[in-house]
Amino acid sequence: MSLSHPAWSLLLRTLLALLGGYLFTYTATAALARLLPVGRYDAVVIASLLSFAVYTAFILWAYAVHSLSRLALAVALSLPLALIGFWPQLLELTA
Amino acid sequence: MKQRSLTQSMSWLHTWCGLLLGWVLFAIFLTGTLAVFDRELNVWMQPELPTRAVNQTLAAETAQRWLEREHPQATSWNIGLPTERAPSLSVSTGEQRRGVRTLLDAQTGEVLEARQTVGGNFFFRFHYTLHTPRNIGIWLVGFAAMAMLVAIISGIIIHKKIFKDFFTFRPAKGQRSWLDGHNASAVLLLPFHLMITYTGLVIFFLIYMPAALDVLYDGNRQAMQRDARAGSVQQQATAAQGEGRAVRGENTQAGGQRGEGRGEGGQRRGEHPVENAPLPPLADFIAKGEAHYGAGMLSALSVSNPGKADARVTVRPLLGSRIELTKGESLVFSAVTGKVLQAPPPSGASQLTQRVMAGLHFAQFGGYPMRWLYFICGLVSCVMIASGLVLYTVKQRKQAKGSRTFLNIAERINIASVAGLSVACVALLWANRLIPAELIGRGQWETRVFFGVWALSLLHAALRPVFVAWREQFYAAAALCLALPLLSLLNTFPMDGMRVGVEVTSVALGLLLGWLAWKIPASARSAPARKPRAARLAGAEQ
Repeated sequence: MSLSHPAWSLLLRTLLALLGGYLFTYTATAALARLLPVGRYDAVVIASLLSFAVYTAFILWAYAVHSLSRLALAVALSLPLALIGFWPQLLELTA
Repeated sequence: MKQRSLTQSMSWLHTWCGLLLGWVLFAIFLTGTLAVFDRELNVWMQPELPTRAVNQTLAAETAQRWLEREHPQATSWNIGLPTERAPSLSVSTGEQRRGVRTLLDAQTGEVLEARQTVGGNFFFRFHYTLHTPRNIGIWLVGFAAMAMLVAIISGIIIHKKIFKDFFTFRPAKGQRSWLDGHNASAVLLLPFHLMITYTGLVIFFLIYMPAALDVLYDGNRQAMQRDARAGSVQQQATAAQGEGRAVRGENTQAGGQRGEGRGEGGQRRGEHPVENAPLPPLADFIAKGEAHYGAGMLSALSVSNPGKADARVTVRPLLGSRIELTKGESLVFSAVTGKVLQAPPPSGASQLTQRVMAGLHFAQFGGYPMRWLYFICGLVSCVMIASGLVLYTVKQRKQAKGSRTFLNIAERINIASVAGLSVACVALLWANRLIPAELIGRGQWETRVFFGVWALSLLHAALRPVFVAWREQFYAAAALCLALPLLSLLNTFPMDGMRVGVEVTSVALGLLLGWLAWKIPASARSAPARKPRAARLAGAEQ
């Protein structure tokens, strides 16, 4: 079975949707919690409650989008999102 | 999946997500629906216990007399008060969750013996753990719930004529009927399906998605709970009493143990000797608690350091005192002075949102009318999932392409996961009556019967022709449901409204299952003839 076989592309898409999608949702939730202009407790609750909608939307989009590379690009967005979410922790690490 | 339309890719996703997770989702939804009446099943499964209405004041007096006589030295007492849905009085000492509960007759104070049973709690626990270790089960069920969300939304996307189809039902037309049935049950209760799935995820939201907690609290749940309390007004006694507070509340998100809470006793014992002081009548605290939570809304009392000057009485409300899920909440009094030491702070807006969502899932509010509404809606969800599972095989059977082996396997699993599980659930109730009451480890035997019957149903489904297996298993479930009241005739336990209610419901479900079995054709060939038009349409739709 060559790498261009539909089964491989489906497997890759499923992995990107489930694991990549979780990573994206995790970092998006982190970034949202950091950016929300409300108290710390409220920010955690609001961002966390919305996370399931984000994950659902990502999975649906992952199967709707034609190009796998665009899907991979969306998963890669997790990196900047993580930077927004975790910048104080990262500063601490580098200091 | 190259260059397919949105509808096609969503349809593919809906089919596979629904099929592969539909098996486990059906089990989650069916046990969840039965768990709506978990307490009633608990009562039915311990037929030895009296269920006459007892007022809580009298019960508290009885419990206090018994505990003062039997356990005067205990560091803490816990009293489970008789309530509308759980009409027995139970007492224990020590930490509430570990203690062995003793059942008392609320009037005479005699110790009551009842059979050991997994009770209706079995369905409740299975609903969110699938009978696996709790941490694993929560993740498995969470994964299934996400699949449910994906299936619901993709289902809406592929469903173009959502309102028109709602009024379309073409019975006895083979695949069309299954499609219509699936659509009708899905569209009819779409808000319920969405609500129950999303709120299910919300119960354990910080376990599934700890990102925000990790970012703002470095993952420290207790720190977050402290913030929740600090944000709202709170009656504080003295600064010295503050230390015990942080311990509470870390489990407020956990749906695991109902009515859990920590015995707060013994924390300061040994640090400095405390004078003895007689414990005032606990019945007084019932009135004080009801003044706060409303009449009949209390579930438990606990006393720390009984007989000492620093004794404290904790009053716990029923979960159903409001929509908001107030698990772990309590009102703490100084036993000797009767003053409130600690009152539950009102929830802030965001906390209230989460708790109301969790409360909507737990369905403890609104009394019996609401409970029945959830039960019926839950059954419709089960019908939707099951009809979707069947629809897959009905469609595949007609198509020449596709793997016959997989279709064959899918059909067998469908039978075991839908009809087989129904048989297993009612078999658990039979096991409860037929296993000798005094057997050691009875609860485990009940569980074994449940899983044994379920495994047998898979074997049966694998060996029998598909349609015959469907019919036989539904007939078996129907017969067991219909005959459930006969079990009570064998014994001479006193019956009461609640237990009769369980049996009447069982008979009603038995009739429903029997009707289903009767409607299933004897084989695929004798199924209603499909007109060419229907076949043409089937290709065009979905």
